[in-house]
Amino acid sequence: MTGARSHGRGRAARVRAIHADVCVIGAGAGGAVTAAELAEGGMRVVVLEQGPRHDADRFSARPLEMLARLYRDGGQTTTLGTPPILLPLGRGLGGTTLVNSGTCFRTPPAVLERWRDEFGLEALADEAALKPCFERVEQALSISEVTPELAGRNAAIARRGAEALGWSHGFLRRNAKGCIGSGVCAFGCPTSAKQHVGITYVPRAEAAGAQVIAGADVRHVLVERGQARGVEARLASGGRLEVRARIVVVACGTIHTPLLLARSGLGRESGQLGHNLALHPATGAFALMDEVVDMAKGVPQSFYVDEFAAEGIMFEGVAGPPSYVAASLPLSGRRHADAMAEYRRLAMFGLMVSDGSRGSVRALAGRPVIRYELAEADVARFRRGLARIDELFRAAGAREVYLPLPHGVEPHRARARDLKLMAFHPLGTARADAGPQHGVVDGDLQLHGVRGVHVADGSVVPSSLGVNPQLTIMALATRLAFGLLGQDVPQTYEEIACPS
Amino acid sequence: MRKPADPVRRGLDVFVDAAPQPQRSGLRLLIALERRPRGRRLLGRTHAIDQLANGLVAMGHYEDPVNAVPLGWDADAIAARGRALRREEGRL
Repeated sequence: MTGARSHGRGRAARVRAIHADVCVIGAGAGGAVTAAELAEGGMRVVVLEQGPRHDADRFSARPLEMLARLYRDGGQTTTLGTPPILLPLGRGLGGTTLVNSGTCFRTPPAVLERWRDEFGLEALADEAALKPCFERVEQALSISEVTPELAGRNAAIARRGAEALGWSHGFLRRNAKGCIGSGVCAFGCPTSAKQHVGITYVPRAEAAGAQVIAGADVRHVLVERGQARGVEARLASGGRLEVRARIVVVACGTIHTPLLLARSGLGRESGQLGHNLALHPATGAFALMDEVVDMAKGVPQSFYVDEFAAEGIMFEGVAGPPSYVAASLPLSGRRHADAMAEYRRLAMFGLMVSDGSRGSVRALAGRPVIRYELAEADVARFRRGLARIDELFRAAGAREVYLPLPHGVEPHRARARDLKLMAFHPLGTARADAGPQHGVVDGDLQLHGVRGVHVADGSVVPSSLGVNPQLTIMALATRLAFGLLGQDVPQTYEEIACPS
Repeated sequence: MRKPADPVRRGLDVFVDAAPQPQRSGLRLLIALERRPRGRRLLGRTHAIDQLANGLVAMGHYEDPVNAVPLGWDADAIAARGRALRREEGRL
């Protein structure tokens, strides 16, 4: 940095200017990783994050309170369409990695193949070239498989069902270190065991000299004669900020990146900006067991069943404290109260669909409007998935199963409007494609036709992954950072942290 | 002098306040209806709305330690254990 300065008089005097090599917008999975790698590589980096810096001392393990504090819109961002779908997004340093379940999958090879074949992204989808990126992130985040002991009894029930049915299953790999199974990954890890980027990559970036500014709402990316010049932001503390930089990395997330690009007049040439929104629509089912489960004791998302992954149906663990369960139980009135009285014997498991539906996002009065209609093929996946999850719980010995459907509606008769859904992992709204007529960014994640503006978040991922995307986003950000540094990705973190 | 809001209502209010408009007004209306017998009957006519309203009020109810601790969930103990562990091991 060349230091901050103020210029002008009156209103203009409140404009602060900073010069840097790179301005990174957003400190989530993509932005934090890019910023840390670039700063450690010797670049002068400024990170602007719209949300706050969170203090783990204030993580209360109370879902309502933490939803309001850690999530955009208090976790109540909703899509327009049938059915309306809740789309929870994290807010603050760490982005959604702060509130996700920590599950880490590499990009499936079949997905990389699709990126090559359908989007012409040979280099981006090169599995061998991505391997050191994945390894580097996995090492930085201490990714390892959950043990059965830590997974808890909720996972043991799903495992019992899967084993009885002979379905493929396993324990998930997560970015956690010293986890004691507090059971509130989605509401702020009180032990800081979850290695979200707010406590891993952001401190690394700062230690390497990056300036990280929270509460900075970037209004425009500045481009002159086809070259990035910096950004303009409004500060929560008052005043405005200009960062002058010849490289800008936009990493506001799949919902907000297209909005920033659009209001900056960028990325619109292909007509794809804000389109191709892919989600993982999901739902949860409950089972009343004879045994005490205490579902929130252990890692909520620790176990998966991938027997039907080829059909686009994935089962992953989900669990939570009583207030979370009370909001999710597909019952009402007396039946709801009776089931909650048995909370300690309730088990829960999630169903996630790799969607074929596609939505869009655009701005209305400065806020994102997310349109997403669940296609019939995806409704059919939910029908099959719900029938399977019922089978899983019954094979595990459930006394009663509560599916997320209206009373009396059988899974095979469910319609889109009957489904009670949330969605995770939004992707694709500034998708990469080798051709400028089909995509917003190229294979180097640079905006087509503009030098120096790159995108490093889920918006560039051109297709649904079928698995949790944080590792894909971080690996792509690692590749981008080393590309900007003009270096090969080191095989391990130590090569950079402890150069010989 | 106004009585301080009870912790259950406060938690739910904080949650509803964080919602964007027009959802916020809609949620307030649902909660108000759910808390009245006639309102509950009205909501009961539409499955999705009924569940949303019921879930919202129930979420507030079970956030209260008075209702959560007997079900084996002590949020304050979880948070305190987390803080102690972070201090002990120097975690961020």
